[in-house]
Amino acid sequence: MEEKKKIIQFRNIVKNFEDQVVLKGIDLDIYENEFVTLLGPSGCGKTTLLRILAGFLEPTEGQVIFNGEDIKHVPPYKRELNTVFQKYALFPHLNVYDNIAFGLKIKKMSKDVIDQKVMRMLKLIGLEGYEKKDVTLMSGGQQQRVAIARALVNEPAVLLLDEPLGALDLKLRQEMQYELKRIQQEVGITFIFVTHDQEEALTMSDKIVVMKDGEIQQVGTPQEIYNEPVNRYVAKFIGESNIIPGVMLQDKLVRFDDENYECVDYGFKPNEKVDVIIRPEDIDIVPLDQGKMTGIVDSVLFKGVHYEVMVETVPGTQVTVNMHVISNNIVTSEDGQEKISANDFYVDIEDMKDLDEKDIVARADAQAWDPATDEYISISSIETNLENELGEYEVTFSTSKGTTITRKIWVIDQRVVENKKANEAISAFNFFKTVDEIHEAMALDTDLKTWANAQAWKLSSEDEEIDLYVEYDFDPDQIKEGIYRVRFVTEGREFKIHTTDYVEEGAEVGLTFFPEDIHVMEKMGFE
Amino acid sequence: MLLFPMLLIALYSLMNAGNSIVPFQFTLENYVHFFTDPDFLLILWRSLWIAVKTTVLCLLLGYPIAYYIARSEEKKRNLLVLLITFPMWINMLVRTYAWIGILSGDGLFSMILGLFGIHNVELLYTETAVLLGMVYNFLPFMILQINTVLSKMDPSLLEASADLGASKAQTFWRVTFPLSMPGVVSGITLVFLPAVSSFFIPKLLGGGQYFLIGNVIENQFITVGEWNFGSAISMIMAVIMMLLMMLVRRSERRTSIKVEDAS
Repeated sequence: MEEKKKIIQFRNIVKNFEDQVVLKGIDLDIYENEFVTLLGPSGCGKTTLLRILAGFLEPTEGQVIFNGEDIKHVPPYKRELNTVFQKYALFPHLNVYDNIAFGLKIKKMSKDVIDQKVMRMLKLIGLEGYEKKDVTLMSGGQQQRVAIARALVNEPAVLLLDEPLGALDLKLRQEMQYELKRIQQEVGITFIFVTHDQEEALTMSDKIVVMKDGEIQQVGTPQEIYNEPVNRYVAKFIGESNIIPGVMLQDKLVRFDDENYECVDYGFKPNEKVDVIIRPEDIDIVPLDQGKMTGIVDSVLFKGVHYEVMVETVPGTQVTVNMHVISNNIVTSEDGQEKISANDFYVDIEDMKDLDEKDIVARADAQAWDPATDEYISISSIETNLENELGEYEVTFSTSKGTTITRKIWVIDQRVVENKKANEAISAFNFFKTVDEIHEAMALDTDLKTWANAQAWKLSSEDEEIDLYVEYDFDPDQIKEGIYRVRFVTEGREFKIHTTDYVEEGAEVGLTFFPEDIHVMEKMGFE
Repeated sequence: MLLFPMLLIALYSLMNAGNSIVPFQFTLENYVHFFTDPDFLLILWRSLWIAVKTTVLCLLLGYPIAYYIARSEEKKRNLLVLLITFPMWINMLVRTYAWIGILSGDGLFSMILGLFGIHNVELLYTETAVLLGMVYNFLPFMILQINTVLSKMDPSLLEASADLGASKAQTFWRVTFPLSMPGVVSGITLVFLPAVSSFFIPKLLGGGQYFLIGNVIENQFITVGEWNFGSAISMIMAVIMMLLMMLVRRSERRTSIKVEDAS
């Protein structure tokens, strides 16, 4: 590749807003005549980086080097770059001509030079004859073009574009993508384009910079980013993908979903946990006996050029429990000085041997208090006919003043659902909760798992826990007394496949792919 | 409902009090009377002149204040707007009375001047006192109008201007000021109109020696009882103000065009 000149160098840029770190040390080189896209979700710091470059923000730490010079203390109006703003920021009191001519008039150019330059810009953006138009009466796409012309007419070394296509509709957005690329090639300067839209990034860029939480995840050409994402985050953000947790057994051999697969990746530690990605267009649907894996077609969606087929290779496992929602069980003493409450509960026969009074109080959530002061009163005695056998028992909690409440305990044999195909087992309990407890739950999904003591594990090794998801169809805010079903499920495995061949829903099929279609990535530190 | 009193005044201005035989008759003599009496014309001129001075002072003082408020952080801005509005909760008459105390011979103002060795400055019952009272009373209207427009202005326009190479001063004259014109115009309107017809400020701070058209109208209605003549003066004032406002609006349009040409 020809030698290109670095025009902008970000050196360890850190930006804090009060206590919040928005940029965590950005190092990035941008070359002449490049179309660079800063890509990431909102809040990743991409706009902040752009505003630092434009001079509207000062970095907390680090250097911005422009053509070999540190421009930290150069005010925006002296920088050799121009910006196309997110909402265009056209001057409403000026017409198209005067908007475009604004920068030139500031530079005190002669009238005929200004005239010439503005007319050339109008031609470039395809708005000849619009010079007297009121910008506030123009369509979004036209305003967009005027904003680009207003910036480009100053012949900047670098043009910054802050999500300029965000406000346009889909068709116009695609048109403008080509338009922008054409303009960039025609004027031959560096464009730095900020977007959260991966399609925009792939279509236009020479170089994509993927950002997350104030850090650069990957820098590369669109092909590199798409084909060789460095981690799960980049893979998810760019294009569609199947991402499967796996283990790298040795160079060129990866294990996921309890099978070993050949691949072309190497350089990982033996048995390192990794993320495996297979793009939907790299998987082929083949007859059952020819597949590297098999599954059932779950859904088929027609997408125009191709079908999007979901194939379930590992069915999820599920268990359903009853959640008894009860009214608040509060007993008030005769003199009204004490209140006591407790819930019914289930207990597994296996847990009976370790069950002491403390556990009973905790499981029943038994408590007593003084309604006047809200202070807790200790529960002084617990009487129960509980035995180490399956059955229904009673427990009575009382305070020293004799306020009592009686609840039920069921000793049961906990049900375990086993799923041999998925190598999984799952278990959960029925449980009792009051309306208030459900309303007060901060993270209901997690609480439901705790209340039901829901767990899932690998059949082959009981220590290996599997993530569970909670499903229910009640509205927690509107819940009333009654019995509700709560389902705990494991994810199973589904592959998304893009194919031009139609398959029936419900068909059993084989899936195949080449070793080079498997991309192995390092696990991310968190998420 | 809104127009009815106006119509009544228009009707009154075209009548005379009549005599015992004819209760009243239509006549233009009220208008003729006004325009032929040099005293009235002088008062009219003086009223317009002091209103113009009030408006210009309010604009010169109010714009920087409004600009400062609009550029402040939101918390500070709200506090400042509250401070500006605060005196308006108190009756205007009472506030003007307070100025008598401040400006009188042994008042706060002479005391402060005395500290600097300046003595025997009699401000009360002079034109300066009236002007001071008017600016004091009407300044908040100017500030609030301009502040509203400036606060609503999209800050990215200022960034765009800086981005295109304009310094802070250039940005102000080419972007901020032209875009604040609607606020300036409504500020001028809200100051000029009440200033020109105000009657109790000149009465209290001018001490009866400084007579404005508002006082004349008040006199005709309350003291002299010449309702027809008073109505005629009111009608003349209404027409003058209407013409002036049209002039202001037109000149505003022209300045915004001129700014465009200049930029």
